[in-house]
Amino acid sequence: MSGRVLVVDDEVEMQRALRTGLRYHDFEVHAVGSGEEAVREAAAWRPDVILLDLGLPGMDGFATLRALRPATRAAVIVVSVMPGERDKVRALDLGADDYVVKPFGTEELVARIRAVLRRQADVSTGEPVVQTGDLEIDLGRRSVTVSGRPVHLTPTEYELLRYLALHAGKPVTHSTLLRQVWGEYAVGDKYNTRYVVAQIRKKLGDDPANPRFIVNEPGVGYRLVS
Amino acid sequence: MSLVLRRLAPYSIAIGGAIAITVAIALITSRTNVPGLSAFYLLLVLWLGARWGRGPAVTGSVAAFLLYDFFFVPPVGTLTVRGPSELFELVVLLAVALVTSQLAASLRRAQAASETLAADSRVLYELATAALRTPQVTVALSMLCDQAVRLASVSRFALVAMDFGEAAPLAGGDLTPDEVRQATWSYENGRPVGISISDGAVRLTKTHPGAETPAYLPLASGVAVMRIDTDQQEPGELRMLAALIGLADLLLDRRRVALEAERARGFEASDRLKAAILSSLSHELKSPIASLRAGLTALLVPQAGLQPEQQELLVDLDRQATRLDRLVGDMLALSRLEAGLELDKEPHGFAELVGTALHQLRSDLKGHEVGVDAPDDLPPVEVDELQVGRVLTNLLENALEWAPPTGAIAVGAVAREAFLEAWVENDGPAIAPMDLDRVFETFWTRRARGSGLGLAICKRVVEAHGGTIRAENRRRGPRFTFTLPLARVIAKR
Repeated sequence: MSGRVLVVDDEVEMQRALRTGLRYHDFEVHAVGSGEEAVREAAAWRPDVILLDLGLPGMDGFATLRALRPATRAAVIVVSVMPGERDKVRALDLGADDYVVKPFGTEELVARIRAVLRRQADVSTGEPVVQTGDLEIDLGRRSVTVSGRPVHLTPTEYELLRYLALHAGKPVTHSTLLRQVWGEYAVGDKYNTRYVVAQIRKKLGDDPANPRFIVNEPGVGYRLVS
Repeated sequence: MSLVLRRLAPYSIAIGGAIAITVAIALITSRTNVPGLSAFYLLLVLWLGARWGRGPAVTGSVAAFLLYDFFFVPPVGTLTVRGPSELFELVVLLAVALVTSQLAASLRRAQAASETLAADSRVLYELATAALRTPQVTVALSMLCDQAVRLASVSRFALVAMDFGEAAPLAGGDLTPDEVRQATWSYENGRPVGISISDGAVRLTKTHPGAETPAYLPLASGVAVMRIDTDQQEPGELRMLAALIGLADLLLDRRRVALEAERARGFEASDRLKAAILSSLSHELKSPIASLRAGLTALLVPQAGLQPEQQELLVDLDRQATRLDRLVGDMLALSRLEAGLELDKEPHGFAELVGTALHQLRSDLKGHEVGVDAPDDLPPVEVDELQVGRVLTNLLENALEWAPPTGAIAVGAVAREAFLEAWVENDGPAIAPMDLDRVFETFWTRRARGSGLGLAICKRVVEAHGGTIRAENRRRGPRFTFTLPLARVIAKR
């Protein structure tokens, strides 16, 4: 699998390293150093994935993210040095697809890029069955099975799992889950989602100390392993 | 001389008045016969009693009786008292004199007292409004001290503030070093010296060491130092003094609150500055490492066309860059902890915390057997997820460092009263008994390569949560045990 990757980073060394590394993995790479250029390049070149550093001079990463969203359907992976959890949540809520903490190895980055590309492909084919390990979630028939054995979930539990499944592999924030599962005006906090996730894990036979299906993203939310 | 005259004047008026009334009665009875004219004497005695008190009133009543008896009671011209009715008249006159003078005297006293009270409250009111209007509390305090020494019995009144344990003379003059020590002692022990105040009244105690050494009264945020003359005190003055002390107490407290608010603002500003420096520092230190790692790992693919030993070199370099990154991260984490950490505590399941840490370290943990002993019914802990996550990853990394290449690592927890006791254990070599405490010291490490920061961070985070951490040698190997507070609210469903 290959694709077009737009690197947005103000460090020339980083641009060069990524250009080299990603090209070895058969990606086409363009690199720019500012948010303004990124928005222009996203519209002109139409990349599949944008690697967006949050610490840009001038127009910062969040402002760039906000400007990018209407301009492109590319997956955005936010890249940052020691991002606070609040930054991660904010980036995800602004439409980022994933985040990677700097420094990272090329292999790890390539895996993340492939994951978001795969997800994009899945969404476009509209595949109604999400599978991870021996967990199968059939969104069309609203059925959940583990190793072929049916699992009975309450409507709330199913809604939460369905939302994670629709975004399999992507971290979903607590606030998004609350809004999606309990409604726009949901009153509650992270404890609600934690409690429901604990119940789902119990029914799926997923050990919280060694999760196979639902992974905790500390301070952010949950991610369904894809 | 004039004083004697003034003293005698009421008596002369009493006698003069009695004579005048006698003359008037004589004039009236010489023309017509009106009975009961002796009642005029009563009026005189009433007036005397109300105006001048008992002495002149009694004098007036005796004079009136004698004159009436002599001029109008038959046999006229003699002072003989015949029969009970005349005696009764005398007794009535005397009683009226005594009762009215008594009543009048207490009225006069009450009036005088209310006048002093009014004056006292006017003084206090003026002081209090001035204190509220002046932004500088010290100005108001000086006014207060001036007011206090205006009292006849108070020869000195000084106020000492206790700012964060430091005595600072504020108003009413300086103190000798000895007096400062005494005031500090009084404040720190909450014990007055030579004086006591209760129910709005000041009392000098027997231990009052005399006029030479002052009395000390500890207040909420300072000490009042005063010298009171034991012979001259009046109840009214002591009440006023008590009121002044009360006001001084309030003002000192107001001053302390203002000081603390100012100090807090200062701290906040320096905290923000520290956070800004740390975040810029982490960016500056980590960005080059990020470029290094991205560049080094970019070449680890066959397409790069490197020889195996060249690739190995790159892997080594990348490992070094990772180490550097971890070291920088630990140092920044430690300085954040030292800059004062705000914990974002929420209820969390311990198993999930462990799961997150294991997931983060999954590539390093490959080949190791990790056993987790966290029963389903463990109550949740009330912790900062990220900080405790750091404790777990640091302890796991430490275990990885010491366990044999395919060694076992055990993580577990049990609930004990209000705490969860958790541990991370490996089957590596034992820690020397003398080092069991030292492993948590900053920069102390058992290996030349260790940063000596990981366990120090663990200790700080655990202690910030009100828990403890310790190292011990078990049969299998070293075990690190720490406690975390259990969540108070078990579940909010």
